[in-house]
Amino acid sequence: MSPHAETQLSSSAGVDTGVSSIALNAGFSGGLDGQPGTFALGAVDADGDAEVMLRVKAGDEDAFGYLVQKYRRAMVHFMFRTTRTQAAAEDLAQEVFLRVYRSRQSYEASAKFTTWLYRIATNLAINHARDTKNERPENTVSVDAKNEETGQSFDIADGSLTAEQNLVRRERMIAIRAKVLGLPDKQRIAVLMHKYQGLDYKQIAEVLKLSESATKSLLFRAYETLRQQLKEFV
Amino acid sequence: MKCEELRREMPDLAAGLTQASDPIQEHLRACAPCAAQFEELRQTMVLMDEWEAPEPSVYFDTRLQARLREQKAMETVRGPGWFGWLPRPAMAMAGALLLAVGVGIWQFGAHGSGTGDLAVGAPTVVQSSATAERGTAVGDLQTLDNDNDLYADFDVLDDIDSQQNAQPATN
Repeated sequence: MSPHAETQLSSSAGVDTGVSSIALNAGFSGGLDGQPGTFALGAVDADGDAEVMLRVKAGDEDAFGYLVQKYRRAMVHFMFRTTRTQAAAEDLAQEVFLRVYRSRQSYEASAKFTTWLYRIATNLAINHARDTKNERPENTVSVDAKNEETGQSFDIADGSLTAEQNLVRRERMIAIRAKVLGLPDKQRIAVLMHKYQGLDYKQIAEVLKLSESATKSLLFRAYETLRQQLKEFV
Repeated sequence: MKCEELRREMPDLAAGLTQASDPIQEHLRACAPCAAQFEELRQTMVLMDEWEAPEPSVYFDTRLQARLREQKAMETVRGPGWFGWLPRPAMAMAGALLLAVGVGIWQFGAHGSGTGDLAVGAPTVVQSSATAERGTAVGDLQTLDNDNDLYADFDVLDDIDSQQNAQPATN
């Protein structure tokens, strides 16, 4: 990963990369017994996560907790943009981590951990989209679907805007979401990883098992579609 | 630089992930269609920033921990190793098949040896293996038959008692 892309990954993808901020006593403790973990690492970049995963393979559950803490936000965001509700997104994000845990014995550090993680996430996202295809007609995508537990909508109106401006903003969000979700599977996943998760061409190519050149073309076609379809909102 | 080459670099450029190199800048200055397309794509990228995603809920970690505990418990039962990947129904089917084969072999072996015993001709074995179930008519009759000797002993005892009672009277 290039330094630039890594920066992007940290900011856009919501990957928590701070050393002390990944303290395991914050939220997910890492250990399965709910006790605070003792896993401690220095600054681990995305490349070093492969080593962390090898420690998970060796039975270090605190190391697994570290990876969860680091990528939970990114996974929830990624899954949210492939589903309709936060509940479904969190369920799928948890499933990603469960699959990582289940597959720990077969993990080989031949690829970057993030590539492996996003490949798992992509498979889940595409399967989920196919399973729920009939449940999500593109024109009735709900951006203000409420969280089942909190009852809150993620699309909270911006207090600094007038009611009319909020309405326009809401329409824009519905349109963006509908158009992105309306893209073919690979284009959609590529856009989500590029635009919102901050992955670079090379990583996206590895996740989708395409050449870098094909990935660039794929992304350009996807953005070109979006540019035309969202023209009225620009 | 050709228009096609530039277009392939546009996503990163429009998203601000890379800086336009000199050849790209030169092309954009010289090619109006590419410049217009690039500007629209850049604005589309800005628009797409409005689609925000929520933070993980406070329940996320708790639920994940619970699901991991379930996973751990499952692995304890069937192990994470060679057969850990097998789903439960497959394990159950394999177990049932093994059991069925085992019972079949045992039955075959039992019948084979039974025939041999009959051939040898051990009457007591045949008799015991032919014992009917208790509570049935045949079973009750067999029980009565088997207890016949015992009842005969009781009769002998009755006779002794009656003889002893009769002797003082005669004395």
